[in-house]
Amino acid sequence: MKEIQSWIERLGERRDVIDEKLEKKEIKLPTELVTGIFFLLLGGILLLVMPSQVPVSHTDVVNGRAFPTLLMIIMMICSGIILIKELYNIFVKKLPPITKTINLLVEVKALVILGILLLTYVICRVTNLFVIGAIFCSFGFLIYFRCRKPAYYGITLTVSILIWVAFRFGLNVNF
Amino acid sequence: MKRGIINSILIFTMAAGVLSGCGGSKTTSFTVTCPWAPSGVAAMVSQKAAAMSTNHSDNMILVADAVKGDAATVNTWVADTKADDTKLVFAGEGLFSITSILDPSKLQFSYDDFAFVENLYSSVFVMSADASLNIKGMKDLGSYLAETDEVSVAANGATSSEAFLAASLFGSMGYGDKLKITPYSSAAEAAQAVARGETDFAISHQSQILETFEQGGVTIVCAFDGEDITEGAFAGVEGVGKYGYPYFRNRCFILARSGTKKETVAELKKLYDDILGDNEMSTWLKDTMMLEIDMMSEEEVQEHIQNVQNIVNEYYDIVVG
Amino acid sequence: MLEYIGPALEHLFTIENFVWMNLGVFIGAVFAAIPGLSVILCVILFLPFTYKMTAIPGMMFLLGIYCAGGYGGSVSAILINTPGTPHAAATMMDGHPLSQKGRTKAALKVALYASAFGGVFSALMLLFLGPQVAQVAAQLGTAEYFMVCLFGLTIIAGVSGKSMIKGLIAACLGLLISCIGADPMTSYDRFTFGISRLYLGLDLAICLIGLFALVEILAKSEKKIGQLILDSKRMNDDGKITKDEYKRLIRPTLISSIIGVLVGIVPGTGASEASWFSYDRAKAMSKHKEEFGHGSVEGIAAAESANNAVTGATLIPLLTMGIPGDGTVAIMLSALMINGLNPGLSLFTTQGDIMYAIMIGLIFVNLFMLFQGRFLTQLFAKVVSIPQEILTPIIVLFCFAGAYSVNKNYFDVGVALIFAVIAWLLRKLDMPLIPILLGMVLGNMTETNFRRALFISNGSPMIFVSSIYCIIFVVLTVLAVFTLIRSKMKESKEEEKE
Repeated sequence: MKEIQSWIERLGERRDVIDEKLEKKEIKLPTELVTGIFFLLLGGILLLVMPSQVPVSHTDVVNGRAFPTLLMIIMMICSGIILIKELYNIFVKKLPPITKTINLLVEVKALVILGILLLTYVICRVTNLFVIGAIFCSFGFLIYFRCRKPAYYGITLTVSILIWVAFRFGLNVNF
Repeated sequence: MKRGIINSILIFTMAAGVLSGCGGSKTTSFTVTCPWAPSGVAAMVSQKAAAMSTNHSDNMILVADAVKGDAATVNTWVADTKADDTKLVFAGEGLFSITSILDPSKLQFSYDDFAFVENLYSSVFVMSADASLNIKGMKDLGSYLAETDEVSVAANGATSSEAFLAASLFGSMGYGDKLKITPYSSAAEAAQAVARGETDFAISHQSQILETFEQGGVTIVCAFDGEDITEGAFAGVEGVGKYGYPYFRNRCFILARSGTKKETVAELKKLYDDILGDNEMSTWLKDTMMLEIDMMSEEEVQEHIQNVQNIVNEYYDIVVG
Repeated sequence: MLEYIGPALEHLFTIENFVWMNLGVFIGAVFAAIPGLSVILCVILFLPFTYKMTAIPGMMFLLGIYCAGGYGGSVSAILINTPGTPHAAATMMDGHPLSQKGRTKAALKVALYASAFGGVFSALMLLFLGPQVAQVAAQLGTAEYFMVCLFGLTIIAGVSGKSMIKGLIAACLGLLISCIGADPMTSYDRFTFGISRLYLGLDLAICLIGLFALVEILAKSEKKIGQLILDSKRMNDDGKITKDEYKRLIRPTLISSIIGVLVGIVPGTGASEASWFSYDRAKAMSKHKEEFGHGSVEGIAAAESANNAVTGATLIPLLTMGIPGDGTVAIMLSALMINGLNPGLSLFTTQGDIMYAIMIGLIFVNLFMLFQGRFLTQLFAKVVSIPQEILTPIIVLFCFAGAYSVNKNYFDVGVALIFAVIAWLLRKLDMPLIPILLGMVLGNMTETNFRRALFISNGSPMIFVSSIYCIIFVVLTVLAVFTLIRSKMKESKEEEKE
């Protein structure tokens, strides 16, 4: 147990060094510009793929493309409004663009969490045993949170197995 | 403390292991997937049969499951099951006779992917009319159609059994060009639409229009059967077959995955036959659901599929346009 | 109505139902008490459980969570000055100051009694108003239903956060997601990209697990790890409420319950609006205005009774027309429909026994909340400080197991993960997520009625103003949009001033 604790501590020290470097790195994301451009493009792309993705009968008064097309048009109009408003603020009113500060440390941490989630998914899928993925997930998050309390490991592991038991035997979910 | 935690984890893991090893029991549960709405006739019959299965078998339990999605549900079912799996599925003429002609690419299966277990019931669809039109029989219908330019019929889906029944009746009467099939999401919705006057007619199961009929919201025009209805609230309603018009009954077959042991299929068939033979089930089917028990052989099933396919081929243009 | 009461009580009074009610109340209170965990998250996580149940126990369980969630949020608001749920923020205004005065138990007691009263009042309103509204709803045709859906979509404005335009984009996204799979009118496949699993469309529960639950796990990266410390010594008061205080509670509790019901019936407004509005009213009407903000029992009672009075009222448009009053009940719709209970008049006639059992059950849910709150407050207080290290993996495992169990395949778990990533990216763009949920819930109904109405009218849009009901809903929609735009503009002007 002491070995594990010291390994977690060593890992924590390394993470501290990386965290310190990343914490200072920030990116300003122009949210309105990105939102406007992204959804304008998304709407356009979906309109382009519509004929191949939504087959219709030519006798229909209102076919299956009508509603999604309407939605895409509304989405593109809204995106256009956001974009024009922002461009007007920047170029006419000479205001700085609306931005959101993206901290690299936060994003890297989110990627680590996503990694744990994806690995849990892969383990569950490959082994077809949810309980193995559950144990990995519990340990993964406890290590992510730099948990050094053995009791927490015990509780989390027990609850994760309990969840599997509840679904497997209580709800008859065979996984 | 540490030892305590380790011990408890070990005990728990062992207990879980023991529990997981206890999975095998003498009773086998068969999940019966109904690919239509949980409130629909087939799902309700399946639910009732499942509830009664424990009274008729010690080693087989039926568990009803309804996943609305029609062909897509059956596609998924076929993809997820293999021979001898304890899974059954419902399918009817809608899939084997209609979708197979209208949109064959949608079906990722054929009849050969299944082993026929049993057909539980047959349903005689009825056509109801907006009460204000005062159409009470085939004669009234003929006069009405001769005078009007367009008739709208509410049906559960644009290309459903009900839609083809409408097309076959109006088409064979010579008014196919006047027909406008208005699709609804369920048979119950279609029945409500005609009562509100949103459409002129609706085609539905008898049980789905009964309440509206009793309240005076609709009149019943005809039944899609060879003979007149003789029993129940709709006794006396004329069968279109009497006039030489085409018709078919709605049937839903219980199917297992092909390759499933013949003994298992036979055992399941026996279980279903026993359930259908139970007085409680037959009374419920007749009085509440207004359905007829209709156990079929595989040959009869093929005959039914072929009959509906012929109608679909003949009246394809009216429905699809 | 009376003919259904007997069979309904027979359906309701089973040990199974009462166990699920209590379990729901307990879980809901615990979830809401923990800051960062929301009622909506709780309902999403436990929704797959109900797929295995029949309608009554399933709904009792979810309603237990929903109602107790209203009360649970007040526990952490009073104890640690952090509202467990957003609508408990108004409770915090007076709850925490009263706790600091050494009257923690008294504050919790007032919150509990007011919550229970608001909940029971709301359940009674549902019982009596629900069938009447359903009678009217039965007269609505296809065009009218489309207008109802459109009115329902004005909820978006209320839940869009700062930018209504972004809310609209998010709603379009939700409506578009609902288009994936078989076309409801023709059964042709749409946007499946050849993936056979998509033919059935995307299951609401699975998408929500990604959009609301797993994304919260990703959001852990934004927070520093720390534990909320609960000073348990503070709960040592006798919890006594004086006669005079009880007298002072009656008026604000009753008025706030009425406000809660009225706010709850209107789609798009929710418990937060009800509690702040009621708090404001109670303050204006009180003889002890000076106490507000410094530990007023009236303030706590007003906020709590209002936010719980919303619970039954939001079910009125849901059960009668399929229009969810707020995000949480939108999820409950799938629990109803999986059991073949489609909103509308038929729910109150052909399935009247089940429906009345659910509505009467809601009264009992609130009574059990009172009972559990009375005896388990100490426990609820302790869960406030459950460490994140333990909670996070447990939530993840519930999400995975829940997503898998819906259709019993890992494809759905993958879908939930994809939705979590999408939600994470949308959050970076300050896009609200609730409109996506509403779009997904109302999508099918909106599209089907829109297309069918135009089909009936041979393409003429005049059908949407062809009846008195259509016109009423057009007026209501315009009014709702106008009012919401005005309040948004007022909000942004105030922000600019600040």
